[in-house]
Amino acid sequence: MSMKQQVSDAALTKRLNALEAKAREAQKTIDELRSRDALKTQFLSNISHDLRTPLAAIITHAEILRDGMLGELNQKQRDSVTGIVNGGQQLLDMIDEILTYVRSSGDQVPLVCTEFSIAEVVDQVRLLNQSLAAKKHITLERTNGDDLPLVYADRDKIKHIFANLIGNAIKFTGDGGRAWVSFSRRGADENELLVEVGDNGRGIARDHYELVFREFAQVDASPSRPHHGTGLGLAIARRLVELHHGRIWVESELGKGSRFFFTLPLDVPRE
Amino acid sequence: MASRILIVEDSPLITEAFSILFRESGYDVDVAGTVAQAVEAATTRPADLILLDISLPDGDGLDVLEQLRERNAFPRVALAMTGHGDSRSRQKCLDAGCADVLLKPVRIGDLLRQIEHLLA
Repeated sequence: MSMKQQVSDAALTKRLNALEAKAREAQKTIDELRSRDALKTQFLSNISHDLRTPLAAIITHAEILRDGMLGELNQKQRDSVTGIVNGGQQLLDMIDEILTYVRSSGDQVPLVCTEFSIAEVVDQVRLLNQSLAAKKHITLERTNGDDLPLVYADRDKIKHIFANLIGNAIKFTGDGGRAWVSFSRRGADENELLVEVGDNGRGIARDHYELVFREFAQVDASPSRPHHGTGLGLAIARRLVELHHGRIWVESELGKGSRFFFTLPLDVPRE
Repeated sequence: MASRILIVEDSPLITEAFSILFRESGYDVDVAGTVAQAVEAATTRPADLILLDISLPDGDGLDVLEQLRERNAFPRVALAMTGHGDSRSRQKCLDAGCADVLLKPVRIGDLLRQIEHLLA
């Protein structure tokens, strides 16, 4: 072996060792970041859970006062206490949304799958949103779906997807508008269910199609925006759809309304 | 005689709010913050209705019902309360003998109507 080759072998070994050390270091950083991320998720979950209890107590006390159980209130007092109840309830909804997000974003989220009618789930969510829709004179309908096969999925999670999509449809649709849910089947063997949740509300600009599904993202993030929320609703919906091996997207035109679509496989093997 | 309600809940903030609510509605009220306290209270001062938080510091709220059943002291009505409403934990409560499972925070109007109906 020539002198020159010996030198270059030694240089190569040295370089290889340096690269390996760097790779080990990078892996260590990744592991550390992962464990910190898990800790943060756990912290968020704990704190959200712990926030619920005192808030529930505040709401209950305020309801006791509002309902005159400790003596009749005058109108101004009642209005004020009603404000505490409503504000508390809104805060609680936001905490619940954060909890749902945290619980659905881990590496291992268990799905509790059963067979059920997806149209029935939509009707339940419609019923829950009926008074809100009625307040804004919004028609909220399911246009078809009575003859669909049963789906095999996590019922609570599918219900949550509809709650978020239908809730948004009502939130972003003006007085007298329309929101709907409809179904169709796709694929060679019609083995994919396509769900549409649409409205004729204010719509979303094309530039924002991706943004709306991002965590904590809100198209209007100004403090004076008319609609407050955690900015997690669609991120949760996307996460829950993906857990079921489906896809979710939006098609929309500003001022004309939005149509959210998601797919669910119908050929899931039953366990 | 007024019906007796046993509130089983580990947060004093919640027990205090419910105590006011039920007393003002004409019920006798007992409180317990752990499984052990709840079993002790329900066997020495039998309650007509137990309002049961599912997670307690020394165990599962449903343990209370199991122990009371063993001692032949199961209440007329048991109502469970939980912080999250997934259908699996709901079914577990119903299987354990609860008349219903309420999602916290419970709207007081609904709660009082339901209790009145269950104890009628």
